[in-house]
Amino acid sequence: MDNFKRVRHTLAEILDLDEGEILPESYLVRELDAESIDLLEVALALSTEFGIEVRDDEIFLKNLRILIADAGENGVDPVVAIVENLPHIQEKRAGEMVADLADGPVLQVRDLVAYVGHCCQ
Amino acid sequence: MNLTFTGKTVLVTGANCGIGLALAPLLIEEGLFPILCSRHSKGKETIGAGLSPWAGRYGTAFFDLACPEQMGEIFADHPEIHYLVDMAQGDYETLVASADPGRLARYMAENVAARAELVRLASRTMVRHRFGRMIFLSSAAAGCPGKGQGLYGASKLAAEGLYRSAGLELGSRGITAMGLRPGYVASGRGERFIEQQGQALVKKMPGGCFISADEVARALVFFLSDTARNFNGVAITMDGGFTSGK
Repeated sequence: MDNFKRVRHTLAEILDLDEGEILPESYLVRELDAESIDLLEVALALSTEFGIEVRDDEIFLKNLRILIADAGENGVDPVVAIVENLPHIQEKRAGEMVADLADGPVLQVRDLVAYVGHCCQ
Repeated sequence: MNLTFTGKTVLVTGANCGIGLALAPLLIEEGLFPILCSRHSKGKETIGAGLSPWAGRYGTAFFDLACPEQMGEIFADHPEIHYLVDMAQGDYETLVASADPGRLARYMAENVAARAELVRLASRTMVRHRFGRMIFLSSAAAGCPGKGQGLYGASKLAAEGLYRSAGLELGSRGITAMGLRPGYVASGRGERFIEQQGQALVKKMPGGCFISADEVARALVFFLSDTARNFNGVAITMDGGFTSGK
C-alpha cells in the first residue's frame, strides 16, 4: 500500500471519516475539522504505522507562521526559510503555503504523506 | 462499595515513601499491577523489603526527576501503563530569599519542568489506549505554604496546573487527571516535621490527629477507580480541616 493510502486510512479512523472523503489536497483543519487532540492521535498512529519518530511541530507545521514572520524580519525569502527548516516540504509546495496562509491553516494531507516519506528515506 | 478499574497497570513515582509502600498492597489487592519507581537502589531495596509478601505481583523501575531524558525508557518498556500516581518530589526547604541560586534552579527544573515531561509521556501512552487516569500527589502547602515552603509550594502549584490541563485537554479521549493535597501526614518528611512541632501542632488539627499514610493511600485508590473519574482537572484538599479556618 502506498504512503498516501496508509495515511488516509489512519486519518479516516481517527477523524471518523470515509476514506473517499480524504484527498491529497484536503486541508486537515479547514476541511476535515481536525482538532489539536486529533492531530496528537494522528502523530502517535503514524509513528506506529511507519515505525518513525514523528515530531508534532514539524509534521503539523506548527511553527510555520513564526518561521515566515522571522524570515520577513531578517529579509529572507519565506519559501527558502520553509524549505531549509522543513526538509520534507518542496519549494513549489512552500510557495503555495505562503500564498495560502491568509485563508487559514495550510496543512494538507499530502504534507503528512511528504513527512512520512521523508522520515522513511 | 466495590471499586472497579478499567485499566490494569499503575506507574507510581516516588514509590519508596511511606504512602507508596501503603499504596502498593492496596493496588495489588484490587487486581492492579503497580510499577513502583524509585531513584536509587536503596529505594528499590526498601520496596523489596516492604512488599516481600507480594513478590512477583509488582514491577520496579528507575525514575529520577533529575534525569528526564531517561523517562522515555519506562514508557518504552511498559507501553500498557493506564494509571499514573505521581508522588516524586525533591526536598528543599528554605526561605525563597535564602535559596541557593543554583539549587533553586535545579529544584524547579526537576519538580516542574521534568514533571511536565512525565505528564507528556504518560499522556501520549494513554492516548494510544484511549484511557488513562493520573493523580498528582500535591500538598496542602500548594494553597497554604508554611514559611520555608515557598519553592515546595510553588512547584506543587505549578505541577497541579500541568495535571489540570492534562485532564482538560485529554478528557475527550477517556483520560482524566487530578491532584490530591494531603495536609500533615505522619510519614516521611511530614513525620519529621510533626515530631519537631510536638503537641502544639496536633492541637491545630480539627480532628485532633494527623493523617496516616494508609489513609492517603486508600484515598488514592478511590480516586484511581472508575467511580471517581469525574474528579477531573481539580485538586482536592485532604488535611482534616486544618486549612479551612483561622
